[in-house]
Amino acid sequence: METLGNATSNALFLLISGDAELWKIVAISFQVSITAILIATPPALLTAFVLAYGKFPGRRVLISLFSTLLSIPAVVIGLTLYLLLSRQGPLGEWRLLFTQTAMILGQIALSFPILVAMGHSALQSADRRAWETALTLGANPLHAVATVMWEVRFGLLAALLAAFGRIVAEVGASMMLGGNILNYTRNIPTAIALETSKGDFSQGIALGIVLLALSFTLNALFYHLRGGGQPA
Amino acid sequence: MIESPLKLHFNDIHKRFGKRHVLIGANIQLSGGACTVLTGPNGVGKTTLLRIMAGLEKPDRGSIDMGLGATRWRRCYAALRTRILYLHQHPYLFDGSVSSNLAYAISDKHNRCLCQQRIKEALKWAGLTAIAENHAKTVSGGERQRVALARAWLREPRALLLDEPTANLDPEARTRTLELLFRLKESGIALLIASHDPHHFASLADKHLQLTQGILAEELSDNTNVTPFRRAHS
Amino acid sequence: MIYIPCSSAHKIMHLTLHKREIQALLISLLAMFTLPAAADGNNTTNPLIRLATTTSTENSGLLNHLLPVFQSATGYRVHVIAVGTGKALRMGQDGDVDVVLVHAPQAEAGFVDAGYGDHRHAVMYNDFVVVGPGNDPANIKTADNITAAMGKIATMQSLFISRGDDSGTHKKEKLLWKTAGIKPDNGWHKEAGQGMGKVLQIAAELDAYTLTDRGTWLAYRDKSTLTILFEGDEALHNPYGIIAVSTTRYADINHTGALALVKWITSGEAQQLIGDYRIGKTRLFTPSANSDRVATLDDISDNHQ
Repeated sequence: METLGNATSNALFLLISGDAELWKIVAISFQVSITAILIATPPALLTAFVLAYGKFPGRRVLISLFSTLLSIPAVVIGLTLYLLLSRQGPLGEWRLLFTQTAMILGQIALSFPILVAMGHSALQSADRRAWETALTLGANPLHAVATVMWEVRFGLLAALLAAFGRIVAEVGASMMLGGNILNYTRNIPTAIALETSKGDFSQGIALGIVLLALSFTLNALFYHLRGGGQPA
Repeated sequence: MIESPLKLHFNDIHKRFGKRHVLIGANIQLSGGACTVLTGPNGVGKTTLLRIMAGLEKPDRGSIDMGLGATRWRRCYAALRTRILYLHQHPYLFDGSVSSNLAYAISDKHNRCLCQQRIKEALKWAGLTAIAENHAKTVSGGERQRVALARAWLREPRALLLDEPTANLDPEARTRTLELLFRLKESGIALLIASHDPHHFASLADKHLQLTQGILAEELSDNTNVTPFRRAHS
Repeated sequence: MIYIPCSSAHKIMHLTLHKREIQALLISLLAMFTLPAAADGNNTTNPLIRLATTTSTENSGLLNHLLPVFQSATGYRVHVIAVGTGKALRMGQDGDVDVVLVHAPQAEAGFVDAGYGDHRHAVMYNDFVVVGPGNDPANIKTADNITAAMGKIATMQSLFISRGDDSGTHKKEKLLWKTAGIKPDNGWHKEAGQGMGKVLQIAAELDAYTLTDRGTWLAYRDKSTLTILFEGDEALHNPYGIIAVSTTRYADINHTGALALVKWITSGEAQQLIGDYRIGKTRLFTPSANSDRVATLDDISDNHQ
């Protein structure tokens, strides 16, 4: 058995030496999760905006629905999508199971409620005069939406970071939908699960360090941006 | 102005919130270069009327004639928004510098030079040059009002609706605001000022309207004889 | 134009969206979901083969040893999904993969009989071993055969970690209990529901017995505190077979690719590679594509001792 110290020093060596397999896994993680966030964000924020500023029957129900969706375990989303995407499922013809697209779909489904719920509360905190001022100054509705979003950009950025943090570290849905295929759908969390099960802790620790560094960097970036953007 | 002076009629505007009738058959017109002062106690619905006219709030009933025949509000609110500018009681300034707030009002931003030039003019016009790069959220109440007016000036609306523009301002800031309003009026913009204290605008006003319990009526200048202000244009 | 009336408690605003903008949004969303499917739909030149296999072939490193050779020789890309045998066969049955490489002869025969696959090809074999804590509390080292060994574990109620995931190893284990006439009791028989590697770790942490295939064991041996306590019974034979999923149910499956992989893995070249694959000095699998004979214990002992 390798000791914790041993495994950690091996992990650091893997990171520093630029182990190709390790960095390929990191790259896949980022590629999949960033794509998912990029696709999920525009519709999610528009939904959040409509929920914050719109008036239509069922609005309150929808808001509480999205808050509920926040607490749905990733594996349930993974299982649901698995059943939909399997050849036996209704969307089987698309042949998406065990592809990056399936993982992206899973991560979109995971991030969407976070983006909507956190985006909604950020947009709700925006001054309503911002929306009206934009309109009366001749902005078209989409431009006005963008203006309001810019006013609460830090809240929205926080939503984005939270959503990214969740999907990049999520293992259940990625494992089920992607199948943990080497060089294709093996991302950081599924690789950690596999390496741990293989008893190869060094690579698990190395990938864990990458995740930690990532979340630290994102948070630091966020606070830096906020510090620079707002008056003392 | 190249366009003919504005004539805008709002007829038979109704609005209620729950059981409270805020507006009952209000008629009001805006004409270029004229200033109307709308008075009435606080919370009576002056703001609602202004917001309906600016295309920001939907009336329950009513028609609007923009010179091409009467149309319903939902058909023309977008047109109202492009012609009429509404200023909140506490104008909202976007996150950013004073200059960037002014830039927001310039619709054609393609010519950067011209854009900068116009912002400069607006800053000068409102006496804001010294605080051009200050953060908009840090300026004083009077400065904020002038930034909002300079932004309106850049936007060149046909009509400007102001909600209590001098409330909470010290006398000096009030004087400067009034001066800017005079200049806007002279440039041919129709002004409608809602205020619970109309005396501040005595020198500016061409007409006084009073809103009480949902009824909008003209208040004659001698302040004694109140007659209903109905379909004055027809 | 459509518009959505908006309001706070007593203010109503109007959010307008242009029909064209909505259409553009819908079209781009649709495109996003359907394009990858369209790209995958062309099977005449599909270079992608999906192989469902057991954790033992992947975790032991064998596939990493074999597949790059196949891929560079043929231009195919193989996506390996490593799960338990039961799940792998289910994936083949559902048409989610093109070919399965598993080790559960009975289940494989059932798979072919039901028409999910056309033919099972023998690939290789190794054997199962029982591993456990060095002090061997149930004293299975001295057992005459595997039935006796399992009986001793049950009698002593020594902790036994089961895969519990319907994998080939799990199927084998259940068969062994059945042969020994034992109904495992939850008190000492724990189902982990995990892969072989994980189960070996759990067994090591809990000082428990478990049944493992020799390939995975050899890959984990150096990291484990467990030792082999029983081996060599003919009932522990562990043959691997490969089956291309039948096209009768899923016409658009990558059957050509699957057959290419089957043909290659049973070819002399691949069989040689399997025979050459070693961890340390130990050979993990014995190629068996070219001989239908049942492996003898001598083979296994020769290979591993």
